[in-house]
Amino acid sequence: MILDALKTLIYVLIFPGFLFCFLTGLLLAGIDRKLVARMQKRVGPPILQPFYDFFKLCGKQTIVPAAANKTVFLVAPLLGLAALVVLQLFIPVFQFQIPAFANVADLIVILYLLLIPAVSIILGGASTGSPYAGIGLSREMVTVLACELPLVLVLLSVGRSVGVAIGAKEGITFSLSTIVRYQLESGSLICKASLIPAAIAFLLVIPGETGNHPFDAAEAETEICEGMLAEYSGAPLGVYKLSHAIKMLTMTSLFVMLFFGGIGTGIGNLVALIGLTGGAAAAVTMLLDVLVLFVLCVIVTAVGISFVHAVTARLKIEQIFKYYWTVVSALALLSLVLVWYGL
Amino acid sequence: MNFLNPQHFPIFAIMLYFLGAFLIVLFGKNRAARNCIAFLATGLALTLMILLVKPIMIDGGIIAYWMGSRVPAGGYAIGIALEVDALGLFFGLLIATAVFVSCLYSFSYMSEDDNEPQYYTLFLMLCGGVMGLVLSGDLFNMFIMVEILTFAAVALTAFRNRVTGALEAAFKYLVVGCIGSTCILAGTIILYQQAHTLNLAQLATIIPLCKGTNVSIAFALLFIGFCTKAFIVPFHPLAADAHGAAPAPVSVLISGVLTKSGIYGIIRLAYFLFQTMNLGTMQFWLVFLGSVSMFVCVTMALAQHDFKRLLAFHSISQIGYVLTAIGLATALGASAGLYHAMNHTLFKGLLFLTAGAVLHETGTTDLGKLGGLSKKMPHTTVLFLIGAASISGIPPFNGFASKWLIYQAAYEKAAETGNIGFAFVTIVALVTSTLTLASFVKVTQSVFFGQLPKECENAKEVSFGMRFAMGILAVLCTVTGLFPNLVQTYLTGPAAKTLFHVTRYINAMLGEGYAESAMGASAPEAATRTIEIVGVWNPVNWLALLMIALLAICIVAIASKYDAVRENKSEKVEAKYSLFYGGEDTVFSQVGGGDLFWGFKHNWRHYFSFMHDLHSGIVNDYSLWAVIALALAMVYALIVL
Repeated sequence: MILDALKTLIYVLIFPGFLFCFLTGLLLAGIDRKLVARMQKRVGPPILQPFYDFFKLCGKQTIVPAAANKTVFLVAPLLGLAALVVLQLFIPVFQFQIPAFANVADLIVILYLLLIPAVSIILGGASTGSPYAGIGLSREMVTVLACELPLVLVLLSVGRSVGVAIGAKEGITFSLSTIVRYQLESGSLICKASLIPAAIAFLLVIPGETGNHPFDAAEAETEICEGMLAEYSGAPLGVYKLSHAIKMLTMTSLFVMLFFGGIGTGIGNLVALIGLTGGAAAAVTMLLDVLVLFVLCVIVTAVGISFVHAVTARLKIEQIFKYYWTVVSALALLSLVLVWYGL
Repeated sequence: MNFLNPQHFPIFAIMLYFLGAFLIVLFGKNRAARNCIAFLATGLALTLMILLVKPIMIDGGIIAYWMGSRVPAGGYAIGIALEVDALGLFFGLLIATAVFVSCLYSFSYMSEDDNEPQYYTLFLMLCGGVMGLVLSGDLFNMFIMVEILTFAAVALTAFRNRVTGALEAAFKYLVVGCIGSTCILAGTIILYQQAHTLNLAQLATIIPLCKGTNVSIAFALLFIGFCTKAFIVPFHPLAADAHGAAPAPVSVLISGVLTKSGIYGIIRLAYFLFQTMNLGTMQFWLVFLGSVSMFVCVTMALAQHDFKRLLAFHSISQIGYVLTAIGLATALGASAGLYHAMNHTLFKGLLFLTAGAVLHETGTTDLGKLGGLSKKMPHTTVLFLIGAASISGIPPFNGFASKWLIYQAAYEKAAETGNIGFAFVTIVALVTSTLTLASFVKVTQSVFFGQLPKECENAKEVSFGMRFAMGILAVLCTVTGLFPNLVQTYLTGPAAKTLFHVTRYINAMLGEGYAESAMGASAPEAATRTIEIVGVWNPVNWLALLMIALLAICIVAIASKYDAVRENKSEKVEAKYSLFYGGEDTVFSQVGGGDLFWGFKHNWRHYFSFMHDLHSGIVNDYSLWAVIALALAMVYALIVL
């Protein structure tokens, strides 16, 4: 009992919870900034810059505007961060899945858990009463709406495809651990021709979900002064920046697990060859799995976020909406129809 | 006669409401007596309903109650009967709860109105009508109750008749509501002419056997009649007008109770009387209507700029979910639909009450004129946020739990039948949920956050009585969201099961073996459907994890001087604490109101302008819609039944 509680605590606080999210998320953000800079022929900040930024912000005083609702203003960033960290617990790392969490949330739940960080930033911004925040939250909500349709289509395609493949009685599955386990046995889903459009659609959704350029109308610095963050300063602002970094990790690792799951390192066998067994082998395998996941996340970030960032200019909000509900949704819909008719 | 026998509870519950209504007419001049009577009537009725949970929900009994002990003779049910199975009791429980909370709220909310005695009389008449409808075992009595509740609701809509639009709304409701009631009466007459009985159980043995033009027409008439009560598209504009004008506690009744009576009627009709739900065409009909209601009403809500009208459209959008789930005709679908019906009563009641609180304090529900109330009304804000999170399907509140089941039910149905149409229903349901969130973000920003206009500066927190009533609903929203398994085991599960055990319903009324002997081989078999859930969702564990994470983050935050906040302490707002305007002077600039999501609306502008033109607000148009809907329903019923 106590051991279980302790284990849960370690999961939540260290791996794959808070500490892991903190380190990898900020590292990912740093790599993204560096990559964009290099693509634009700039030198760019050091890779650890997001860490420096975060700690510097934490050292600053927090100024609460007189018009703001203080409780909401201060609690909203923390709530969003906590929800994101918990969400990360439900995303397996190849073979490494926490059995106790496998039956807590499925894909559809994750879809809606993803809304909580967005809602918390909206509430935080709204609580200040700033007109910049008002415009920002309007755009944020429309961006969320825009991403919702393609995301739904992608998840339904994957659920149907795997459900049929594993011969589930209902013909569908929404369990993320089932999907990952299926890929361990039968290879990555990206190898299925019918799911390739869905994978592309998901890749295109990632920058929208995380609010990265060119889909960052919600916090356009040059026109609405970071929108919902306009009144934020000090540690709460740092927490929002951290949440943004972790959301990049969440979305990219979700993408990797949905489409590039599979044997992961495959080093389980390799490790056995060397002669490691038992706990040591499991630990080494897990470490390598995490490493592979991170490398894949970096690649996805490079392709899906950094590259798109470097070559495009910011879109207007109605363009974002139109783009997601037409181009991206059409791709995802194609997948759904293909999957549905067994292709 | 033993009054403590559960046999008598249903009739007592109905009588309590009507008795309360008459007693208030007699003794209602005195405020204390009036409140006391209303409280006792609603409270006791709720108690009776809760006492019935054990014998009916858990032990699986069915109460068949013959007025004056006129039991059926010679195989014909002549007397007036009440029949309470798990389905009826489930709706009875919802109604009694909503009525009780609404009554508690009314005590302080209506205390400044004139004609309070009349209000409570009508209020209790409406409650008695709906309760009688769901517990009745007799088609004609259902019609009588529909009439009572329609007229009580019309009168209550116009209760604050000095409010602009109240009389107009009531008139519209009266006209279209009467078209609906007439349809129900006409359908009842045709069925009586066919079957020579009005008892529901006996009708259920006769009607499925005599297919024909008459029966199809009767089905269409009854169906449209109940649709008007549930405000399914195309009857949704009425609800918006009625909710906009009615006092908040009456809105709770109209959305939480009256629409449920329509849903109940449709279930009884389709599953029991005509036993048509195994037809794919009938499933298509319900699911189609449900999905259209879901989507049309949520987009209509996005375009609203009045708090209560917005809530009204959402109410129907959520009823669309219920109808869709019921129409799937699977065990999971039925259970999910009933679950959502329950949640709809709870969160919608809560939201209407918070809207009432805002109206009470500021005198307006126009989203363009409100703002920044969270500092004035902190408790109401929290309660509103709970309600908004529930209806928008944010985990872990109840709206998510039931919508999640509906998504699965629809997608499972798609996989089971291989029909991709149901997959699109799932998509509509999923996207509608996010659209709902969007429009509640709009309300949150326009009413509770943002900047406080001068007109609202005198707003203060509402009285304890009103907050208490809202608190009950907020707690229920959270609890039913956190323990979906308990709800399914004890409430929606048994109720959903009865939908597929029509024979039991018939036999409980008319004696064991009646259905088999009367219907022969075509007696509906007790379907042994089980609820299959493919997904996983464990709200309690998730909440525990969230709490651990939140606690840890808070500790880290406090340790790293997160709390070293600077606040404006002096009287005058220092520059550093005022809002950022790019260096300009501070001016009042509230971003909110109807057009908050223009990025979305711009892309849908053709759709919105089409809908705008369509909803002319003229009662002639709406009556025409009703007639067209009736005609279409008749044609469809003639083709498929």
